Amino acid sequence: MFLALKEIKKEKFRSSLIIAMIVLISYLIFILTSLALGLARENTDAINSWDVAKITLSSNANVDMRQSFLTKKQAGTLTKNEAYLGETPVVAEAKGHKQQSAFFVGLKNSQFIAKNIKLESGHRVRHSHEVVVDDSLKLKGYQLGDKFKLNDDQTKFTIVGFTKRAKLNVTPVLYGQLGTWRSLRGIKMGPVTSVVASENRQYQPHQSGTKTYTRQQIINKLPGYQAQILTFVLMIGFLMIISMIIIAVFLYILTMQKLPNYAVLRAQGIPSRVLVSATISQSILLVASGLIIGTLLTAVTGLVIPAQVPMAFDVPLLAAVGLGILIMALIGSLIPVKTVLSVDPVSVIGGE
Amino acid sequence: MSAFSVENVNQIFGSGTARVHVLHDINFEAESGTLSLIMGPSGSGKTTFLTIVGGLLTPTSGTVTVNGIDYNQRSKKQRDALRLDAIGFVLQAYHLLPYLTVADQFTLVDKVKPKNNLSKEELNAVLEKLGIKNLLHKYPSELSSGQQQRVAIARALYPDPAIILADEPTAALDGPRVKVVGSLLKSLAIDHHKAVVVVTHDSRLIEFTDHLYEMRDGVLTKQPITKE
Repeated sequence: MFLALKEIKKEKFRSSLIIAMIVLISYLIFILTSLALGLARENTDAINSWDVAKITLSSNANVDMRQSFLTKKQAGTLTKNEAYLGETPVVAEAKGHKQQSAFFVGLKNSQFIAKNIKLESGHRVRHSHEVVVDDSLKLKGYQLGDKFKLNDDQTKFTIVGFTKRAKLNVTPVLYGQLGTWRSLRGIKMGPVTSVVASENRQYQPHQSGTKTYTRQQIINKLPGYQAQILTFVLMIGFLMIISMIIIAVFLYILTMQKLPNYAVLRAQGIPSRVLVSATISQSILLVASGLIIGTLLTAVTGLVIPAQVPMAFDVPLLAAVGLGILIMALIGSLIPVKTVLSVDPVSVIGGE
Repeated sequence: MSAFSVENVNQIFGSGTARVHVLHDINFEAESGTLSLIMGPSGSGKTTFLTIVGGLLTPTSGTVTVNGIDYNQRSKKQRDALRLDAIGFVLQAYHLLPYLTVADQFTLVDKVKPKNNLSKEELNAVLEKLGIKNLLHKYPSELSSGQQQRVAIARALYPDPAIILADEPTAALDGPRVKVVGSLLKSLAIDHHKAVVVVTHDSRLIEFTDHLYEMRDGVLTKQPITKE
């Protein structure tokens, strides 16, 4: 640590350049991670807020809740751990507002999902023309008591409550009654729900024409979700590898310049571990400094970024990513360490 | 008392047509309290001899015994420890760490070997004698070649080694400084009872030596001392 600190202190400009690179890379990784998490949450917030473990759909629905219709017989007998859930895409239209794509989710007030919805303001749905909506609609100017029409239906729906974490596939959710879902779908008889959701991990009905999936399986089949996540993971992974290569290259060049000095120290009996530890400490100090500044920049960004940008700052996740960058830097520093270990002290003694 | 001894050492580099026999049956003994000078033309094997004595190179044949133990019986780690504790290398290529001030060069030794280094007073005396006491807060890039070489000498002496091996220690020094370094090495031998071995081209050091050797084509022979 002594040698590392002394070198960083003496070579301020060179160290600043390396730290600046790490700052930019870590900032980019933190922002991309937050964006990936924000987008992932906007895809899955509603499903996760239902706190369900298993979901039963029509077997021919291609794991898509919007394409699923279950009859009463297919839905089977429900316990207090199960709930009906009818989902359909809608377009909301209100005076003074642009058309708004949304998902209507019909629930039974007496069942656990409807009971679990946490209201930010307003009250729960009591009538068929009432809806509780995602609070992102507030940013678009909607308020409690506002009315709008859904699709071609002439019924006017009133916003009676706002709730957080109610987005599905990056689209706001409108919670209403199950009967409203049937009406929006034009169902007169037959299906009673899109799916049956259960909070019981062991839930496994065996009704014909149905199939039961875990929550994660449903999430993974959300349109575009997997492609989006994989793209971000790939970008973040590449950036981590790039950070490792940058650290390795910088440290390698610095170490190569110091080899004659190290050879003299080795000749004088300074153990290799001192020189290796100096190289690794230097790597940790540079990367940790870059990470701290990158974190501060990310925090400032989090404060000033508009709420419409789907970014979610999760401290444990960002800490894990930061640790990942640090580990990558340590791996990167192993290349110069190998060179340090192979320093031949004889190389600096005379020439005969 | 013998500080180290070299017996029947041969050093051969390469093989076949590239085979070079650098040292031939070298026998040498350095006693504590004496300064030995090994002179000879370039390529005669002086430095190879020094690297073998310092435990940096294992001879093709023969033994080097330091503190009564053959190098061959010591691990690499033990040789490192021996060099740090008992052998001070003063090298022609001094390569001071560029980001350490002169004072930090000694602090580094303290970090690795916290005990049995020169006391503050002893170090000050050495620095005073070498004329570099006022340079403690300077970086190597702020020093002349001669000043850097004197700092390197002080750094080699700082762990208070029993054996001092010097490779052209006066190469970058002018006449008066040669006398300073020569008398310092002599004083280390006499006053501090160290075994000092210097390989050099510099005949100005002869006046300080107790034993003079000539290395020629890998053969070491003792020479009479003719001080002018």
